[in-house]
Amino acid sequence: MAEILPLEVIDKTINQPVWIILQSEREFTGTLVGFDDFVNVIIQDATEWTTSQTTGISEKVMEHHGRLLLSGNNINMLVPGGRRSGN
Amino acid sequence: MSERSSEHNPQRAHSQQQNNQRKKFESPKREAILDLAKYKDTKVRVKLMGGRLVVGVIKGYDQLMNLVLDEAIEHLKNANDEISKDKTRELGFTVIRGTILVSISPVEGSEVIYVQTSE
Repeated sequence: MAEILPLEVIDKTINQPVWIILQSEREFTGTLVGFDDFVNVIIQDATEWTTSQTTGISEKVMEHHGRLLLSGNNINMLVPGGRRSGN
Repeated sequence: MSERSSEHNPQRAHSQQQNNQRKKFESPKREAILDLAKYKDTKVRVKLMGGRLVVGVIKGYDQLMNLVLDEAIEHLKNANDEISKDKTRELGFTVIRGTILVSISPVEGSEVIYVQTSE
């Protein structure tokens, strides 16, 4: 079976919805525009959330119109396809 | 001038020596410390900086230990900030950054020997 490379997965997510989970309780959803080797990320029309790590309940913090650059420093996980329903 | 400063700064002289040594021993190709090929398609428990615990099936990885997990589930924390066994949320197909990885171990072949209880 062919190897699945993480950065390739991210690359295939470009122009598609993505769900980005930071080290803190903060999360972003939006459309992935691009990323670099450090996985700094640009997302289009991002929504910013705080998600309690005890209840898993998300609250919308704000909506960003246009593009948003997110530093790769604090990114823990990237989920292609956006937020799972029920989350 | 530079001689003087290294004389007065033994630490710097030492680090220079170390650098030279490193050059001497450096091999052209570096192998990954852990071969994750063995764990491919197996369920693993991954701990991240910041205290998250994610369980999922390894589908891919790279040299920097970025991971691709399928059927990933994140374990949430209880009121005492301990990782809960049954409170989870579903992430699904996920990429985990290698830069924030703390530990990785197979789920099969490990068992809990001590559980800290808050009561």
